[in-house]
Amino acid sequence: MAIERSQISQDLADILNEMIEDWGVELDEPIGDSTTLVGDLEFSSIDIIHLVMAIEDHFEHPKMGFNDLLMEDGKYVQDLEVGKVVDFIGSKIKG
Amino acid sequence: MAVRTLFIGMDGATFTVLDHLTADRPGEGVVMPFLKKVMEEGARAKLRSTPNPLTPPAWVSLMTGRTPGHHGVFDFIRAEELGDDVYFTLYDARDVRTETIWSVASRAGMKVAALNFPFTAPPPKDLNGFMVPGFIPWKHLRRNTAPKEFYDRLKTIPDFDPKELAWDFDREKQSVEELSDEDREQWVRYHLPREMQWFKIADYLISEEAPELMAVMFDGVDKLQHQAWRFIDPELAANLTEPYELRMRELCVDYFKRLDGYLEKLVAAAGPDVQVFFASDHGFTTTWEVVRINAYLHEKGYLKWKDTSGTDADIRRDASMFANLDWQNTIAYCRTPSSNGINIRVSHKPGESGIHPDEYEDLRDRLIADLREFKDENGEPVITEIHKRETVFPGEAMEDAPDLLLVLRDRGFVSIKNKEPMLEQREEVAGTHHPDGIFIAYGPGVKQGVETARRNIVDVGSTLLYSVGLDVPSDFEGKVPEKMFEPEHLAKHPVHIGAATNAVGGSKNADDDIGEDEKDKIMEQLQMLGYME
Repeated sequence: MAIERSQISQDLADILNEMIEDWGVELDEPIGDSTTLVGDLEFSSIDIIHLVMAIEDHFEHPKMGFNDLLMEDGKYVQDLEVGKVVDFIGSKIKG
Repeated sequence: MAVRTLFIGMDGATFTVLDHLTADRPGEGVVMPFLKKVMEEGARAKLRSTPNPLTPPAWVSLMTGRTPGHHGVFDFIRAEELGDDVYFTLYDARDVRTETIWSVASRAGMKVAALNFPFTAPPPKDLNGFMVPGFIPWKHLRRNTAPKEFYDRLKTIPDFDPKELAWDFDREKQSVEELSDEDREQWVRYHLPREMQWFKIADYLISEEAPELMAVMFDGVDKLQHQAWRFIDPELAANLTEPYELRMRELCVDYFKRLDGYLEKLVAAAGPDVQVFFASDHGFTTTWEVVRINAYLHEKGYLKWKDTSGTDADIRRDASMFANLDWQNTIAYCRTPSSNGINIRVSHKPGESGIHPDEYEDLRDRLIADLREFKDENGEPVITEIHKRETVFPGEAMEDAPDLLLVLRDRGFVSIKNKEPMLEQREEVAGTHHPDGIFIAYGPGVKQGVETARRNIVDVGSTLLYSVGLDVPSDFEGKVPEKMFEPEHLAKHPVHIGAATNAVGGSKNADDDIGEDEKDKIMEQLQMLGYME
């Protein structure tokens, strides 16, 4: 059964909140679709690797194909909005 | 509950150094008096590492009792050939294809603790006990600590500092950018508090939780030896005269003294009834030359360098030398310095770059012949051993191994830089991995003062399970070194071979690829460890 987008969004926010708990990142507003990983949450590239691990682990889907999300026209994206990650997860685990 | 077995890993520890530091010598005296006692009252053996004596495959073999062809971890970096491109990412615990001793012991109801072992993140879901992984940045310790609430308990340990405990990429990068004498000195100093952090967690767990199988790994030994080998190696250190050299020697000796103190305190905390084992993933020796293997393969026509446009990103990418090649015109290359391997690009679909599968054997034979011709100005071969992967990496994971594994005459790691000359003397000798690490047993039931024949790193997992009172899984490749134990002990506690390990999840694919910045960081880290020139 497909998971609702709102549930994915909440799960991802939980993962991110847990991840950044000790980082000292100050957020103006709660993590949402428009939050950016690099700009707002101060992610480095290794943090993205760990986020991928955490997402695949949480949704029990080890082969999500994150390069589809992380690469555009053969180059790695510079930043990523949480909403795009939510949509990506939804597209991979639907059905 | 009480600790039954204590395992202390020391990354890169080698008897050539430890024998020196446990001897009573003029000036320094006995640097490691506790280890001296352990070696005199325990049993020891050289421990043969994995075919490529490298941290990732070796520690995973130690933890799984299986060789790399079965457990599937061959390097820090995992690469996948995808048609006209190659994708790189990092290995992690999910890539380990065979069950670890932590999971085997947990399934048997044993409480375990494993601290600072590589490729234990993310931790196994079936863990009965505690795990704080090694080789990951501090920002990800919380999520990868098991159980999760244990991280908050760690914060109650006096002076606990995750930034001191974990790998700090930026700090290591800073150190590698300018390896001045001062930086090198700072590098040694940097590891003193790290080991204390791991010691404190281990000490805390022993006193608060007393896990039946307690294990901690100290990785500063390896790091110091890479960067400060000439101040540590007995032969090289005998010739130190300059004030800086003597200061560095003193700093390194101080590190080993402190380490000896941690070992003594942990063994004392575990109690007199505990069997204690010490092991390293590989030993150490001296490398004196740089072998630019991809430059050689380029000269022989196997690979083509990638054309770059000279942007900052290109320059950075080239400098990192993360196998930055024109993939469509490359048929054989070395991926990473730490792999010491050659990969052959095979086309699996019409139109893909690489050789046709039918050409594989002929190409590999030609490649071997060419590599044998890599000689110095005196006509001496630079590569002393060339192994086909089916010989050194047999198993279900063999297809992920390099097609050829090289052993250089000084046992160094190759360079993959686009730079001439292809063979060059190092300005200063450095530390590199030797296949013989250490294995020491100590405590009740262990023979006193004996040295047995060389063991294999896969024996350690079997030994730890035996020591803690469990059967050795039938699919473990390692054997319990019975000659290290007293006959009476063996009679009372015979070695039992039990059920095979459980299957674990397979490898990920290349989808969670890493960005350019991260590749650079990884390479900086590897450079820091001496895997790059």
